[in-house]
Amino acid sequence: MTNISNTSKSEIEQTSRRDFFRKTAAYSVSAIAATSILSPAKLLADDENIIHHSKWGTSLGYELNKNPYGVPSPFEHNVVRRTTPLLSSAGDMHAAISLSPIHELKGIITPNGLFFTRTHNGVARIDPNKYRLMIHGLVEKPIVLTLEDIKKYPSESVIHFLECPSNGAAEWKGPQFNSVQFVKGMMSCTEWTGVRLKHILADLGLKPKAKWMLAEGQDGSEMSRTVPVEKVLDDAMIVYAMNGEALREEQGYPVRLLLPGWEANLCVKWLKRLEFGEEPWYCKEETSKYTTLTPSGKAIQHFYPLEVNSIITSPSPEKPWTDLKKGDMVEIEGIAWSGHGKVKLVDISFDGGKNWVEANLKGLVLTKAWTRFSYIYKYDGKPILLSSRAMDESDKVQPTVNQEKAIMGVEGVYHRNSVCTWEIKANGEVNNVQIRS
Amino acid sequence: MFKLDHKFIATSLVALMASSAFTMASTAKKDALDGGMTYTRDKGMYSDYYINKQVDKLKINNGRTPTANELKAWDSDIMPDGTGLPEGKGSVEDGDELYEEQCAACHGDFGAGGVGYPTLSGGSISSLKNQRTAPGMDAPKRTIGTYWPKASTLIWYIRDAMPYAHPKSLNNDQLYALTAYLLSVNNIKVGGEVMEDEFILSNKNFSKIEMPNKDGFYPNIDGKDGVENVRKFFADGKNYGAVGKRCMSNCKDPGMKGAEPTVMKIGIEMKDVNPPYSTVRDMPKKTNTSGHPGKELYESSCAVCHATDKMGAPAVGDKKAWDVVKAKGLQNVMKNAINGTAAMPPKGGNMDLTDWQMQLIVDYMMSQSM
Ligand code: HEC
Ligand code: HEC
Repeated sequence: MTNISNTSKSEIEQTSRRDFFRKTAAYSVSAIAATSILSPAKLLADDENIIHHSKWGTSLGYELNKNPYGVPSPFEHNVVRRTTPLLSSAGDMHAAISLSPIHELKGIITPNGLFFTRTHNGVARIDPNKYRLMIHGLVEKPIVLTLEDIKKYPSESVIHFLECPSNGAAEWKGPQFNSVQFVKGMMSCTEWTGVRLKHILADLGLKPKAKWMLAEGQDGSEMSRTVPVEKVLDDAMIVYAMNGEALREEQGYPVRLLLPGWEANLCVKWLKRLEFGEEPWYCKEETSKYTTLTPSGKAIQHFYPLEVNSIITSPSPEKPWTDLKKGDMVEIEGIAWSGHGKVKLVDISFDGGKNWVEANLKGLVLTKAWTRFSYIYKYDGKPILLSSRAMDESDKVQPTVNQEKAIMGVEGVYHRNSVCTWEIKANGEVNNVQIRS
Repeated sequence: MFKLDHKFIATSLVALMASSAFTMASTAKKDALDGGMTYTRDKGMYSDYYINKQVDKLKINNGRTPTANELKAWDSDIMPDGTGLPEGKGSVEDGDELYEEQCAACHGDFGAGGVGYPTLSGGSISSLKNQRTAPGMDAPKRTIGTYWPKASTLIWYIRDAMPYAHPKSLNNDQLYALTAYLLSVNNIKVGGEVMEDEFILSNKNFSKIEMPNKDGFYPNIDGKDGVENVRKFFADGKNYGAVGKRCMSNCKDPGMKGAEPTVMKIGIEMKDVNPPYSTVRDMPKKTNTSGHPGKELYESSCAVCHATDKMGAPAVGDKKAWDVVKAKGLQNVMKNAINGTAAMPPKGGNMDLTDWQMQLIVDYMMSQSM
């Protein structure tokens, strides 16, 4: 507890408290920290938020069950998914993508309402009572399952990220968006609940000839993909819940496929049927799209895994350091992930990738899940080029922009995982840049 | 949590001894098809997760056998070898007519694009080598004729997914006609023959379609070695850009010319984002967040004409009228709403409305007319 002497109190009154607080309010927290440039007397000014009773402390709050399904505080209204016509067909928001506000997310779980969304023919609204899943083809016993049938299988819950392989695709030819949400927000991480497909297949008897599985959706586009049976028998699931509640419609309510670590596009939503066969199907989304054109003029098909990746979310263009003063200790924080396994470590560079130091991982480190990293930095007000670089359990390391470009060129669209860099200017502003020749 | 039995204690001790990090995770192996890790399911663990050991040995026998008709109704895919092709036929000429009616508004005349929806024709295979490493260079053109490896993909996709607003509304003859038309505008041959207007495509000659870029993709996933080819591909990171190295000091990269890194900044910033960027925490201006964001603007600027069809405007709530509007493609509809068309004044006469607000309003009008 601090004692304020009588002299300083009266001094403050003389310098017009209201005026002072109007100014500090405009500069928010930062201004309070920056008051060191004011006279010591003003430093000790009273905070009106403490001195006076608050509005919320002097009135009755609203009824506890006003929102039987809870909603965020209205003050959080800017924490939302965002879209751009640039990532759509002709600005048509039925075949487009919305990105997660990863600069505002904490921990490794994305709230269901903020999960990134990609659709090819709008969001299907399925009546769960009329929902059916058919599994057939090279199985001894084809079946039809209702949603209740699926839920009768013993469930498992796992935390995995999903990422669109186009995450960061706008940046192959150079930085374009000054926003971490648009640079890396085509991903989210959730606790999924459902059934391992191998447990269902144990009932059906997969024929030895079966090498591929077709997964098809029930939306207007019947979004479909071919999956190797080896993955199906390893860790594939069909899931019906995320973060404890039913899937959101945007994520494929009532049932979607989950292939941990692989392209979100392969994790077919609104799942309709799984067919087993000997040869691959060549669906639209694995030929015309989701194939990666390389400089040879030939394209990589069936490019499944999302490779090791990381992004610093704070600071970022949306979370600048404009409120810091020299000598402040500040946390650099971000997300690392890999479809190849666990994140092993994350390095941070302050000079555009010449020299690196190892950051700390924090919280849970789970396979094919977001992993948080953190580094405490003493801010010195000098401009820096801040990058992060992750390494995963399979010993893969994020390439530099130039290393990736040398092999993949700039027209591949999908699977960009090179190191991202923020330029932090002397005034604390943050810009998206690339270290690139 | 779980009952400690003797077996569990024994296995957990083994696990403790085996791992220096004192964790209980199951064994991780670097042997996945995709070049990454797999995890065993043993000792009641899967990676870091506890699992119910009983489950792996269980047979549940849920569900029921589908009927023959059900299988026929849903097993509607069409494979590269022609499996699943429906019986039917259609000419390039008929396809042309159908295309004009049902597809051109979005995909452009002759599939040439131009309105923002996918371009379905044009370009060349040699353009696939184009790399836009400097401004003003030509993009690789990925169309049916230059890129798609299989014709089966085209007829299957149209059957399931097009036309966009009314998928699955085409009959089999229409499907063949539209497929024939799109192949013909891509100068694709069938059994060496150029597809003239009279050319008739059917399930009989479908296998003779010659897709120009059929060899444009790797690894080879067909045949008995298909999956093994995928495994080999992912085993070598050089194949797909997984070439990062963990250098810690004085790292050299082509981006480092001399001592300083070469920094590329944003040229033209993409700013057209919705909703606009903001990290401010305040009370939202409009408190009716539960309603549609376009509702109020609709009522103040558009309802005067669109509440009924008296003025010749598509009335909000009239599903039929809006289905006709939607079939033009959202891009075209927005253009008409913004620039005006016939008796519809530009922006309904309220030029203060931004394009984004117009989009919200039209979305509201459509959402009320489904
Ligand atoms: C209202 C606009 C609209 C109309 C009308 C329309 N399409 Fe499409 N079409 C789209 C959109 C949007 C996509 C991309 C969907 C996605 O993102 O997966 C598409 C994709 C396609 C593709 C795949 C293109 C590619 O390169 O991957 C084909 C082929 C196609 N449409 C054919 C047709 C045919 C044939 C018709 C007429 C029967 C038609 N479309 C009518 C909007 C339309
Ligand atoms: C003065 C009357 C009037 C007002 C005000 C008006 N509209 Fe219209 N609108 C029309 C008429 C008439 C048509 C039919 C035009 C035609 O024949 O194609 C139309 C058509 C449309 C269409 C369909 C366009 C198409 O491509 O078929 C849209 C979308 C639309 N209006 C949106 C709006 C919006 C949004 C507003 C308010 C900002 C608005 N209108 C205000 C009269 C009006």
